[in-house]
Amino acid sequence: MLVLLVLLMLLEVGSGLMIPTMTAELINRGLEGTEPAVIVRGGCLMAAASLLAGLGALAGSYLTALLAAELGRYLRNRLYDHVLRFSEADMEHFGTGSMVTRTLSDVNVVQQALVMLALMVLPVPVVCLLGIGLSFYLDATMGWLMLGVTLVLLPLMVVVLRLAAPCFVKLQLFLDRMNTVVREVVTGVRVIRAFNKEEHEVQRMETVFRDYRGVAVKANRLFAGMESTALLLVNVMLVVILYVCGVRTGAGAMEMGDLAAVSQYAVLVLFFLMMAQMVMVMMPRAGVCLRRIREVLEYEPSIQDGEDAPGAPMCPALPLSAASPAPSASGVSGVSGAARLSGEALPVMRFRSVCFRYPDAEEDTLHDIDFSCRRGETTAIIGSTGCGKSTIAKLMLRFLDVTSGAVELFGTDVRRLRQADLRARVACVPQRSWLFSGTIAENLSYGLPGASPQRMREALRMAQAQFVEELPEGLDARVAQGGTNFSGGQRQRLAIARALMKPADLFLFDDSFSALDVRTDAALRRALREGLRDAAVLVIAQRISSIAHADRIVVLEDGRMVGCGRHAELMESCAVYREIARSQMRREEDCSHG
Amino acid sequence: MAEAYQEEAATEERGDDYGLDRPADLRRTLRRLRASVSNQRLRLWLVLLSVVCYTFFAIAAPMYSATVVDLMWGQIKEARAAGESWTVSWHSGGRELCLLLGLYVAAGLFYFVQSFLMASFAERLSFRLRGEIARKLQRLPLAFYDRRQPGEVLSRVTNDLDKMAEAFQTGALKLMTSLGLIAGSLAMMLRLSPWLTLVFVFFMGLSLLATRVVAARTLRSALRRQECVSRVTSLAEEFYTGRRVIRAFNREAESSAEMHRATRSLAEAAQRADFLVFAINPAVRFINRAGQIGIAVGGCVLMLHGRLSVGAFQAFFQFVHQAGEPLTELSYMLNAMQSSLASLERVYALLDEEEMSPDAQTPAAEAASLPRARGEVRFCGVRFGYTPGSLLMRDINFSVKPGQKVAVVGSTGAGKTTLINLLMRFYELDGGCILLDGVPTTSMSRRRLREQFGMVLQDTWLFDGTIAENIAYGRPDATREQIAAAARAARVDFYVHTMPQGYETRLCNDGELLSVGQRQLLTIARVFLCDPALLILDEATSSVDTRTELEISRAMRRLMKGRTSFVIAHRLSTIVDADLILMMRDGDIIEQGTHDELLRAGGAYAELYNSQFT
Repeated sequence: MLVLLVLLMLLEVGSGLMIPTMTAELINRGLEGTEPAVIVRGGCLMAAASLLAGLGALAGSYLTALLAAELGRYLRNRLYDHVLRFSEADMEHFGTGSMVTRTLSDVNVVQQALVMLALMVLPVPVVCLLGIGLSFYLDATMGWLMLGVTLVLLPLMVVVLRLAAPCFVKLQLFLDRMNTVVREVVTGVRVIRAFNKEEHEVQRMETVFRDYRGVAVKANRLFAGMESTALLLVNVMLVVILYVCGVRTGAGAMEMGDLAAVSQYAVLVLFFLMMAQMVMVMMPRAGVCLRRIREVLEYEPSIQDGEDAPGAPMCPALPLSAASPAPSASGVSGVSGAARLSGEALPVMRFRSVCFRYPDAEEDTLHDIDFSCRRGETTAIIGSTGCGKSTIAKLMLRFLDVTSGAVELFGTDVRRLRQADLRARVACVPQRSWLFSGTIAENLSYGLPGASPQRMREALRMAQAQFVEELPEGLDARVAQGGTNFSGGQRQRLAIARALMKPADLFLFDDSFSALDVRTDAALRRALREGLRDAAVLVIAQRISSIAHADRIVVLEDGRMVGCGRHAELMESCAVYREIARSQMRREEDCSHG
Repeated sequence: MAEAYQEEAATEERGDDYGLDRPADLRRTLRRLRASVSNQRLRLWLVLLSVVCYTFFAIAAPMYSATVVDLMWGQIKEARAAGESWTVSWHSGGRELCLLLGLYVAAGLFYFVQSFLMASFAERLSFRLRGEIARKLQRLPLAFYDRRQPGEVLSRVTNDLDKMAEAFQTGALKLMTSLGLIAGSLAMMLRLSPWLTLVFVFFMGLSLLATRVVAARTLRSALRRQECVSRVTSLAEEFYTGRRVIRAFNREAESSAEMHRATRSLAEAAQRADFLVFAINPAVRFINRAGQIGIAVGGCVLMLHGRLSVGAFQAFFQFVHQAGEPLTELSYMLNAMQSSLASLERVYALLDEEEMSPDAQTPAAEAASLPRARGEVRFCGVRFGYTPGSLLMRDINFSVKPGQKVAVVGSTGAGKTTLINLLMRFYELDGGCILLDGVPTTSMSRRRLREQFGMVLQDTWLFDGTIAENIAYGRPDATREQIAAAARAARVDFYVHTMPQGYETRLCNDGELLSVGQRQLLTIARVFLCDPALLILDEATSSVDTRTELEISRAMRRLMKGRTSFVIAHRLSTIVDADLILMMRDGDIIEQGTHDELLRAGGAYAELYNSQFT
């Protein structure tokens, strides 16, 4: 397709450039004095040439638009698919905001750059060569003149480019900075006023504005200089051409009419060179964007699927509640009796001396964590902010990989499994619930594609999300992006229902009860205790009341396990646990209700 | 950051490139504009003068070139007739050529002067307006901010003013020169040859028509493209933000398919829209060329009949070029100017927004407010509503002694945050008064009032600066030891030391560098450093776990000696040792008292507290 584009462009430019020569011919005829018919015939030829040029240009435009659109689509698809394989650490390396910018705005810039290159820069060499060639055809001296002019202009252009490019990069930088500062001031108005920093913020903004103005004015001045110089050059060239033309015509080597042609060529060459220069000034920015896109595409996801496919003994997935032993859909292969046996002996998930450290941290976030989650048991994790609780959730789903030790699913290291298989067996309700735009039913079917409405209602009921039944559209009620049209508590319950839909072996609740008031929290826990009797449950929480019934409580402090056992044991033996309890309950006697 | 992009994309793609953006009251906007550029009047006059000179030379030069060409041709014809060769010398053509060169150089010079002078015009205007906006923002009441998305205000300052600057920068100048050039060129063309001028005008009209027609079709496809872009944008944002959910539920294939569908629609729409935009050029060029051919043919015929000289012919072409280019660009220029005036109008609308009532600056008021308040607060018959006509608070009364801890409890929407907003005088009361140390808060300056309070909000705000700068926000002159001490008190010193550059680590508001809890601890450190007389904690500790909060509350208890504090929290455990509990519902305080009193009373508070244990 690119070749076709080049050919079309040649056609367009070529035909276009014939016209001044033909005009010159015409003028010369006119000066000699011929019949009008000759003139008219010449005119028709020119019309044909310009038609050809026009068609070529049209086709070229079509192709360019097509090319640009396809490039955009290709890049965006590849970017998105590649990013899907990223782990948490990979994503944090770039940042969500930056990723969105790269997918949308950067690709856009590259597309536009392609268009500019195709439309403005590609014709330049052709125009120059043809222009010089045709000038030679008219008269050798003219040809040399044109050549000389072009050779002088080209290095001039390069020099200006070198000067201008960093200027525009700086402009973009200052624009971003201005955006950032104003955004901060607007979003932080309460804080600013509370600290009486209004004057300070005005100063800060003015500084940024002043800097921007400085750079913008400089850029404008540069442009003004470039433009004026171009104008001057054109006009000086015209005078020089007139002079040379006069000399050469006087010497009988060419005709006066050719003046029109050569002037045209000179103007055209300069025009195209100027246009190309304007475009080239924008190129560094496109280069930066292209580099950013490449950066993402060449980034190897740090977490890869293991080569061992289903090496883990797969047990059949469980029904949702003991009450309705409906066979649940599970994309899992059949089960052998031996596997079932071993499956029950093995814990669903085991953390074996797990240590985890972020790549750029001085200390371990998690150190020597060792516990198991067994079927039918509730394990709980409790600890202070930043002690690593959420990291455990991420490790379980293999959004992060351990630095040492191992996370095992049914006895197999999760690194040896396919990520899809691992995640099919573990259902997670994250700390901050995220829903997708669509209907409630669509969101719930994330857990189980093709689930029946009855199943969905069961899940909703267990998650204490009966409010859905009271909505006018029920399961078809609209969900806004992120679920923002529901309250925090409702969102969380919907997320819990979504997780409950999944036929998983392990249910992970990462601080998912915090947005619920105490009454709903208690009712929910009761329902979960009933319904998830046969699965393993892991609860990460802040409220002792949420986890006091757990079969096993793991207490974390600064990334280390400082206690493991049941509530009563921990109240006696673990100081950290006691303190947490004390801070939540007024009197120790109440703990016995616990 | 992603939201910023979306907001800006949304405002950019408002179709103002296609003339949809028009100022509502043009005359008024122009009048305001005149006032805004009053400090650049001299510059504008100089530019105008330069434009006049430039136009003069730009018209004169081609005219003169006709004379030169005819002169040379005449001499060449004579020489040919006489069988001699001829060349340019000073007396035969050289002198005239130099004069011509001089004319062109003069034109170029004036062009440079006017461009250079204008280069800073628009940016100065922008700077002035931005400064006014910056100051205005500090005087606008909070109700203004509540009603708007931050992206809207942002777009006024950056997007709108940038567009305006761009349009003014090149547009205004080009418009002025264009008008002169078009008028002058047409006049000269008429002088040279009325017939050819007719041909020119005809083809020019044709190309303008063509542009108009294509532009109409372009608009439709451009709107369609905008739709597709928004779809891809929102999908990308949704999927990137929710990727953990997608991966946790193994929905990668489905989301990828959906994204592919969206990019395909975008590619199709973009291709159509782009093609139409690109196609305008060849179409116009073709028509122009046809016009040139017509002129060439006509001109030659005229030359045959001796009614046109070669010099005039050549000059005519120059004028065609000089008039033609601005004419084709005229419609774009007018559109750009229109939308920039619309942008300007929006900016002025912002500057006209209603401001807060000015501070009371009576000497009595200044004397009444002590450098450091004792901390006695009293609400007397306070009435308030966010929107006029609908009252939230009807009659709030309570009094707090210095050094007491007040806990405000209630469900969402009960009015807890409102109470705080009123304390800090973020909004004005509809009735009643709030007294601080017996002085109504309305009779002291807002600055004085807010100096006495330290506030920690649920929504953490940090700015693009170092951690040290963020902590020292309220006390810029604090030493590193003081900053570190405040950080230690807020239990965030440890985290800071795990950062690569410690206190010098740069933050930004979107900073994914810190967790939510850590950000809150930083804002708490900020208040520690300020050491205020009164404290306000607005649900700040709910995402800090209870044990850490215990540590902080211990430290704060030390701090709170002799300080009055207001705490809003969901956690009953944080308020059980308050000196006064205010139980709110629907804007009213339904119960007041200490924890034990309220438990004994067995009312709503007792019910809430007891339901913790089920």
